[in-house]
Amino acid sequence: MALDTAPDNASGNGRAADAPPPLDSVPKVSPGRRKLRPYLLAVPAVVLCVGILYPFFVGVGYTFYNFSAANPDPMWVGFKNFADVVTSAPFWNSVRVTGLFAVVATSVETVLGVGVALLLYRSSLLGKIFERILIVPLMIAPILAAIMWKLLLLPEVGWVRPILGWFGVTGYTGTDSPFWAFFWSVVVDAWIYTPFVAIIALAGLRSLPNSPFEAAAVDGANWWLTFRRLTLPMLWPYLLVAVIFRLMDSLKMFDIIFGLTTGGPGDSTTTLQINAYLEAITYARYSRGITYMVLLWVFVYVVSMFAVKYLRKVQARSAGV
Amino acid sequence: MAGIEVSAITKRFGKTTAVDGASFTVADGEFFCLLGPSGAGKTTTLKTIAGLTEPDSGSIHIDDVDVRDIEPTHRGLAMCFEGYALYPQRDVFNNLVFPLRSPRLKLPEAQARQRVEHIAAMLGIDHLLDRPVTQLSNGQRQRVALGRVLVRPARAYLLDEPLAHLDAKLRTTMRAELKSISHTDKTTSIYVTHDYVEALSLADRIAVIRDGRILQVGTPTELWEKPADAFVAQAFGKPRINLVPGVIDGSEFIGADGAIRTRLPELTESVSEAQLGIRPRDIEIDPTGSAERGDRFRLSGKVYVLEHLGRHTEVTAEIGPDRVSLVAPRHEVADLRIGDNVGLLINPNSVHVFAAGDEGNRIS
Amino acid sequence: MSQKTVQTDIRRRKAWSGLFANLGLVAYFAFSLLPVLFILALSLKADADQTTTYLWFTPTLSNYETVLGLDDGGGTYIRFFMASLATSVGAVLVSLVIGVPAAYAAARYRFTGSDNLMFTLLSFRFAPELLVIIPLAVLYQQLGLYDTIVGMIWVLQLVTMPLVVWILRSFFQDFPAELEEAALLDGYSRRQAFFSVVLPLVRPGIAAVCLLAFIFAWNNFIFPFTLTSANAQTVTVSSLAWLGGNQVKFNLVAAGAVMAALPPLVLALFIQRYLVRGLSFGAVKG
Repeated sequence: MALDTAPDNASGNGRAADAPPPLDSVPKVSPGRRKLRPYLLAVPAVVLCVGILYPFFVGVGYTFYNFSAANPDPMWVGFKNFADVVTSAPFWNSVRVTGLFAVVATSVETVLGVGVALLLYRSSLLGKIFERILIVPLMIAPILAAIMWKLLLLPEVGWVRPILGWFGVTGYTGTDSPFWAFFWSVVVDAWIYTPFVAIIALAGLRSLPNSPFEAAAVDGANWWLTFRRLTLPMLWPYLLVAVIFRLMDSLKMFDIIFGLTTGGPGDSTTTLQINAYLEAITYARYSRGITYMVLLWVFVYVVSMFAVKYLRKVQARSAGV
Repeated sequence: MAGIEVSAITKRFGKTTAVDGASFTVADGEFFCLLGPSGAGKTTTLKTIAGLTEPDSGSIHIDDVDVRDIEPTHRGLAMCFEGYALYPQRDVFNNLVFPLRSPRLKLPEAQARQRVEHIAAMLGIDHLLDRPVTQLSNGQRQRVALGRVLVRPARAYLLDEPLAHLDAKLRTTMRAELKSISHTDKTTSIYVTHDYVEALSLADRIAVIRDGRILQVGTPTELWEKPADAFVAQAFGKPRINLVPGVIDGSEFIGADGAIRTRLPELTESVSEAQLGIRPRDIEIDPTGSAERGDRFRLSGKVYVLEHLGRHTEVTAEIGPDRVSLVAPRHEVADLRIGDNVGLLINPNSVHVFAAGDEGNRIS
Repeated sequence: MSQKTVQTDIRRRKAWSGLFANLGLVAYFAFSLLPVLFILALSLKADADQTTTYLWFTPTLSNYETVLGLDDGGGTYIRFFMASLATSVGAVLVSLVIGVPAAYAAARYRFTGSDNLMFTLLSFRFAPELLVIIPLAVLYQQLGLYDTIVGMIWVLQLVTMPLVVWILRSFFQDFPAELEEAALLDGYSRRQAFFSVVLPLVRPGIAAVCLLAFIFAWNNFIFPFTLTSANAQTVTVSSLAWLGGNQVKFNLVAAGAVMAALPPLVLALFIQRYLVRGLSFGAVKG
């Protein structure tokens, strides 16, 4: 608007004095200062990272000593801890248990979760009601879920034995045998985390475009074919996020097993982190315990790099669609 | 009010160069238009002027002051975004009054209200002041966006394709309103568009931009009559200017296959690859079929397509391997059918010659 | 095949598949709710009823009285509850204060190290906890942070921070930059534009993330288990205590579990819609 209000400028009212200030008088921000801004915002986060990474590096340092309750003044032992651990049977047993658990539990949760999501997607009345309570198991602390199931599985107090009895199963032993201990651990994990997969899968399903499915219906494709060739590939980018999450999480499984079986019977459910706990806290062999964890962490890190790379690839591919 | 000088602005995003050495000057109070196809770098240039993007090189001067280190907040510019960028959680009144409540201005509430009501009335949206912005139609939103620009004192207005998302009818109406507003409000304005009609009708001067480079700056008349290159010539006019490829031999232009031959005295050197540009409206149908009429030269061709569009008709004729479009009043071509032979009269003074591709201009 | 039989075929097929679908849903949700129902029932059973009845019994609140410490005059449950509350709320607040600016900076600016910072913060989520706990236990003893609320708040950042930063960064990335630009040109500084324009619109998302982070912090077991003893012990850990001892009373354990699980569950059911949106949003954006 003209600063000098012309007589025919009807909008001059109340404006005359409000010209923008001359550009020389305006505050200037040097490019250096401008560049600094994002760093200033990120500083607290960096401080936090340092604060967390410090104990981490200290921990890694422990692995090179023989720090334990028996040796409060530890000596340098180089890679001895690693050598010991890597050649010990309990370690490999834990690796086996952890790996098996991660793969089995994640697979079960994924399949079940997608199934539940598909059922809910049909949005019948029943589905809408159930969707409200889908999230319940996820919101219960895993340790508490483990305790719940522990009681549920007790032959005297729990309901699993009688329910299995209805289905004609006898000889119920709870979590006494290695196989069943592992089995029920997977069940508890699936119980908690299937909703996680289901929620993500449901969101994914709901965000899929309609047109490919309409085209497939017109072309006469049956349900299974549509699912296998159309739904699943389009859903995969979403699912993959959930799968990676659960996989990474279950590699460090602690709460559920601790609550349910404490690693037993024997060491049939001793995952790597349970083992680390036993070593570091129960036996007070701190260095050995940390060694377990460092090895686990390296493994998790490597897997996560591959996972993220694969995820990016899948996401990029689907973005092109 | 401000004169804005853009000097050699270059901005790269990764591997793509969005703006490449763009320079132009907008005089104080001028309505300046930046015309170009999508992706030409118009919005980027505008954002650089506003300070929302930092150029990799070059400078912007407003009122002869280098604004490199001045934040957008303090540059005193107002911008109307292509997507309107209205604050969704506020109603129309609060959207319009927002700039007036800024810490920079801090207008007293009564004054602010008066301003807003005035601008709203001017734009015909005063009955919508209480409406949440999410409930507005496209056209209404556009007016609110414009209102938000006009409501506060500004050195210059930056308008980024304000009419792009309106339907054709609304666009024509708003264009007229914009013209009338810019008449009374003499603020420097930079208007970005891809629609040449808007550029021709609204602007005092136009800069044609393509792939980040400014091809030509001039008044609408200059750009129409003396386009700097084939691209600029093609940018204006519908149907587009006809471009016939050929060679220049001495002072004669010879089209491919020799179908079109004209003597153009201003040509001097021979060029192996050139184009002849003829605007459709500069071609006349020669009803009599007689030979050269005065200074005009005659071409004969065969009618390929006839499009009757109300009072005038677009005729596309084949002359040898080339196709040429022209526009003629309906009555002149009433008897013409596809396949008929037809004579075309062209005034050599209204013809343009360009090098092949999109490059230099020669004569008019 | 006549038109009519094709139609009835389709309808019949749809009816069957609908039935199967509903059966499937019922089966899954029965599985889902069984433990909850069981625990609730168990927690209300008198000692004698524990092993003899299923759902047909006279409920009693005596277990809850014991767990809540109402019968022996102790207020330990309240203390644990308060500790859980303090650490969870504190952890979320700290994550917000640190995470919001970092997420915003990472979303709006490209600065060297932003990706590294993000990845590091994300990696906290997948790092095995004992890796940090073991040295931290020693460190905390030295610093006097062992068994303190502050110590817990700091450690719980490993749980809350990745969530907050990850989800908020994609919120900010998706937020149309033009709105902020408009505010800048309207005469507001970046900071003012953020608070007037961005924050009000992102607020529901932030709220959802906060609630989710709160629940995860509350439900965390391993950190309070290893790094606290009496003062800062959380409700989640305390429920384990009922499992110890010679004569384990299962109904007490059940009541303890219920009281520990109830707060986040109630919270979750109240804001369930926002939680689901928050969870799936984070996943959809990867």
